[in-house]
Amino acid sequence: MINFGIDLGTTNSVFARYQEGNVEIFKNPIGHKETLPSVVGFRNERILIGDKAREYLEKDPRNVFGSFKRKMGTDESYWVESIQQVKTPVDLSAMVLKELRNFIYTGEIPDSIVITVPASFDTIQSNATKEAGYQAGFGEVLLLQEPIAASLAFVNKTTEKTDRKWLVYDLGGGTFDLALVETKYGEMKVIDHEGDNFLGGLDFDNRIISRIIIPYLDRIAAFENLDHDLHSSGGKYNKLYYVLQKKAEEVKLTLSAALTASIEFEIELPDGSTKEVYFDITRAEFENVIRDLVIRTIDIVRLVLERNELQPNELNCILLVGGSTFTPCVREWIAQELDIIVSTAIDPTTAIAAGAAYFAGTKRKQFISPAKPANFQDLSIKTGYAKVSQDTEEYFVAEATGKIDNLQYRLTRADGGYDTGLRQFNSRITEFLQLLPQANNQFELRIFDAQQQLVYHDSSIQIVSGKYGILGQPLPHDICIEVDDKENNTTKLELVFARNSSLPLKTTLTKSVSKTIHTASGDSIVINILEGNQGAIPSSNLSIGIIEIKGDQLSVDLVKGSDIEITLEMSESRDLRVTTYLMMSDQEFTNLFTPSARHVNINKLLDEIKGLHFAVTQEIRAANIREEYEVSQRLSALINTLNDAEAEARTIAVDDVTDRKYQLDDKKKFVAAQMDMLTRDKLKMSAKLDYFNTRNKAQDVLVSHGNDEEKTRFSNLLKQEKQILSGDTTPAIESLTTQIRKIINPIYFRTPAYLISIYHYYASLDEYPDASEAASLKDKGDRSIANSNYEELRYIINKLHTLLPRKEQEKANIKGTGIS
Amino acid sequence: MRTVATHLKIINQFFEIEKKLAHLSGAESTQRHLARIRDHFNELGFQIHVPLGESYPDTRTDCEASIAGTSTEDLVITDVIKPIVHLAEDGAPLLLQKGVVITKSRS
Repeated sequence: MINFGIDLGTTNSVFARYQEGNVEIFKNPIGHKETLPSVVGFRNERILIGDKAREYLEKDPRNVFGSFKRKMGTDESYWVESIQQVKTPVDLSAMVLKELRNFIYTGEIPDSIVITVPASFDTIQSNATKEAGYQAGFGEVLLLQEPIAASLAFVNKTTEKTDRKWLVYDLGGGTFDLALVETKYGEMKVIDHEGDNFLGGLDFDNRIISRIIIPYLDRIAAFENLDHDLHSSGGKYNKLYYVLQKKAEEVKLTLSAALTASIEFEIELPDGSTKEVYFDITRAEFENVIRDLVIRTIDIVRLVLERNELQPNELNCILLVGGSTFTPCVREWIAQELDIIVSTAIDPTTAIAAGAAYFAGTKRKQFISPAKPANFQDLSIKTGYAKVSQDTEEYFVAEATGKIDNLQYRLTRADGGYDTGLRQFNSRITEFLQLLPQANNQFELRIFDAQQQLVYHDSSIQIVSGKYGILGQPLPHDICIEVDDKENNTTKLELVFARNSSLPLKTTLTKSVSKTIHTASGDSIVINILEGNQGAIPSSNLSIGIIEIKGDQLSVDLVKGSDIEITLEMSESRDLRVTTYLMMSDQEFTNLFTPSARHVNINKLLDEIKGLHFAVTQEIRAANIREEYEVSQRLSALINTLNDAEAEARTIAVDDVTDRKYQLDDKKKFVAAQMDMLTRDKLKMSAKLDYFNTRNKAQDVLVSHGNDEEKTRFSNLLKQEKQILSGDTTPAIESLTTQIRKIINPIYFRTPAYLISIYHYYASLDEYPDASEAASLKDKGDRSIANSNYEELRYIINKLHTLLPRKEQEKANIKGTGIS
Repeated sequence: MRTVATHLKIINQFFEIEKKLAHLSGAESTQRHLARIRDHFNELGFQIHVPLGESYPDTRTDCEASIAGTSTEDLVITDVIKPIVHLAEDGAPLLLQKGVVITKSRS
């Protein structure tokens, strides 16, 4: 079957395909719209078709052409100034049809096509349309009248099968067409038609400007000749006119759904001052200014009815087609004035193309395509361009050898933001490719022969802008900030700049204060920036900058939970500037750290030594439990080093000028690194095991009890698995595990089977200090299960949990950083 | 997709606010917050670009432009009504919204 249908419109064209009972409307790969403006432009040796060409339509009439459908079948042609050639309406229509072929993303190349034509087209005009189809490379072209196409789209949406008459009312952007269609003996036919070639939605927009906005402006200031100054291309307000056009269109669209729409814009008043204009337009006001236009269409309907001696009640319905029929008053007034049922069963903008596709789906192809054209092997292309760039555009060159007669090329960017248009290919291509900043810019080069067949295609052209590349030195280590780890009563590292990032670097973090700092207190916030492995503990990394903001520096108390913004900037020479902004007090502190000056704060050093002492002690205990006695022994040796270091640190004054604090800092770092090395692998291993156990359990639970959203979240998390497991960071693995648990826990709690086993776990425990309360809850729990009262069971589980004693732990007294 | 559409509406309103505040004297203290909002949009994958003052050659298709004045050569963007918005999807940027702009010839 032919399957493909095109609505070749005066203003816009649409391409559709029929497949297995459904119609798909193709989208333009550049811009993703369903409609292609029927506009062709010839500028600077490029052929532009569609939206880009339309931008120039008004201003470059010698080289850009639209509405050529009106001239089909006539002797009229277009002189194109820039290429010094004549183009006929058929030529231009063929170009639009060729461009529509690009919308197909499946790789199919249709040889046969159905193209729609207005009911008013005579034989000559219709043949001209066929000719355009052949010129576009289609071997077989079937024509279909637009009202029939719309009716087919309608009929395929309903179950009406009996003989009927109806009207097709097509109000587009620039034209109005009315057709009277009947079905008789199973055949559909247009029996009458009428129209107005200069009436459409654009006129509605213009009425908003001329009859609402201009009068409003004339009321607020004494403009000399506002209308002229807006519309004339040299006029003072010409730029504003285009702004108003866009705004008026938006107002019109808004009023289709709402009763008021607001409009705002700036205008320079006659006295030189700038005024911001803002007012509401109601639907009633809008309807008032377009009333005569809509009534004109209704009069045309009456004319057709009279001519055919028909009463409204003899019509099945009136089908609305064309974007402008979305305007509510169009539908209301037709129903009111004509008393005919208004049908909005079909999408007005794509109905004709859809109908053409339905028709195409019933027609067998008669055409057999000829032998394949010139193959790729006749052409060899060498490309040259920078794969990495810091600029906004990059030079691209391509040279060809082989058969290069009558070829055209086109370069497009994958996101649709760049398009060279079709250009003559003379063995060498030179273009400036526009780049998106900080992105992988993917480009596609296509080369076409004279029949518009694709003979070469390369979509591997990729230019990375801004991200990688040798800007300066790469960072040899991670740069991290130290934050509170309240859960473990210690601190941990958060990544700021990753190892191998290119300098210079800048980032801003927002952190919240984890404890209240009073202005009069001796308490402080410490911002510690460290260089080293993010997975290691803070003490083993090199502190490259410390800022301590004390209470007495604050203008107001810094309340727990309030935000602080920390902006970190590292230059190519590794100078670090830290700007700390306290939102509560609106205070900013800036500190600059240079690599030559090392920073050791003796109080912090003491804290770190104490913290390390506690950590090493814990690890010794753990190693003994695992019977890893050698590890335990080596760790014990570190305790001695720490004890000596602590004793010495207590004798150093805060402003000591000797090197002693740096030596102690080194000692501390050494101990931390040793401990880290001895224990890190163990931690990572156990984190990995925990992750796999959790992940596998989660997979089972999701299959049987998870919903789609949970499954999607889980599979998104799994995408990170490979990268995180191969990295060196235990916290990252633990975090992934926690995130999986967060997805699964609600499932456990809502699934009766799991809920019951959770309850049984709590019920089996003996450790409840308040045994009688626990017993009573267990009774209730058993009864809830018997009554299948899971809401109650959830409550009981929570109660039992809170009854359990808190674990007691030996804690060192650590001040922490104050940020989390 | 509905969420993306809503985000786009918010981005367009944010752009309007940014534009207005740029002309308001005494509004410098809001710059920080505007920058933070932009950062948060970036975190969600949205890249907002205001192409004011940029060239508008024949090859540029990331905007819908109206041309003020008479000439169509050497166009530059003089007004931005809606910004260009990209959405990063697996590293490949998607053009979510074409910028709506007014252009004029430099000559």
